Amino acid sequence: MYKNRALWVALAVLVLAFGAHMLRETGGAGWMPGCAFKKVTGLDCPGCGMTRATYAALHGNLGAAFHFNPVGMVLLPLALLALSLEVAGWVRGKPLPFRLRTGRWGSAVLLAIITGWWILRNVYWKL
Amino acid sequence: MRQEDFPRNGNLDGSHGLVMIPPVMSWYYSKNGTQLGPVAEAELLVKIKSGEVATSDLVWQEGMGDWKPASQVPAFQGSAPLSIPPVPQGNLPMAQPPAMAYGQYPQIPNYLWQSIVVTILCCMPFGVVGIVYAAKVDGLVAGGDLAGAQAASQSAKTWTLTAFICGLVSTGLVVVLMVIGAAQQA
Repeated sequence: MYKNRALWVALAVLVLAFGAHMLRETGGAGWMPGCAFKKVTGLDCPGCGMTRATYAALHGNLGAAFHFNPVGMVLLPLALLALSLEVAGWVRGKPLPFRLRTGRWGSAVLLAIITGWWILRNVYWKL
Repeated sequence: MRQEDFPRNGNLDGSHGLVMIPPVMSWYYSKNGTQLGPVAEAELLVKIKSGEVATSDLVWQEGMGDWKPASQVPAFQGSAPLSIPPVPQGNLPMAQPPAMAYGQYPQIPNYLWQSIVVTILCCMPFGVVGIVYAAKVDGLVAGGDLAGAQAASQSAKTWTLTAFICGLVSTGLVVVLMVIGAAQQA
């Protein structure tokens, strides 16, 4: 158990919670930078729509959330859960015995899903 | 009669003519002409990886004709000392130190979840590069290419951090601009 690590995690959680609260109130208008990739290329990136999706999800509108970025809506909670387990182990100084590990094939599948989604959304799922 | 009460192989000095057989697969090694060991194969492998035993140091086990440099023994070939990266200085959640080993292989962090979060939330193509490297790490470890896995892990971390910092900085800039705009209106 590392106290300074726990403090950093607490700070990060506070910042995230504040950000989520602000997003819920404002929808991100005025203080979120938007997607640099989209600004430059005009194309959607794999994460595009997550601001709107998170805003919708925080207001309980899951249908709209999945419409804006279905892959992100599945991967983000999964990744946050996996990261929480890693961070808990990091604070403890010893990895937790139960962790979400993808292994070599799982990693390759995730990479394929994300790149596939990136291409697909620019062809069929334009926002 | 009393002698019969004792298990024969319980006599550790071998005075009954029994030969002490070292545990299977244990190795002797030498440093500066001093014979050391016996140690288990996995332990010697760790010593070689950590650099405690050089690949040029001599090793021997039951059944080998003579001492050989570790580099010429199939079991230890390709076990060059790891180049262990420096412990990250930052306290960001994504700058995690390499985790403790669970099995024979040292655990090399793949930063996959970190790079996915950064790709989804910071909207940076750098994050995708991070995912590409992250996805390679476990396969390289499974294939025994620990140096390659370390390099891929390092690249994944660098790209993920780059994307994270870009996202952080651009958000920070927009917030600062918003505050300045609000101050000018007031």
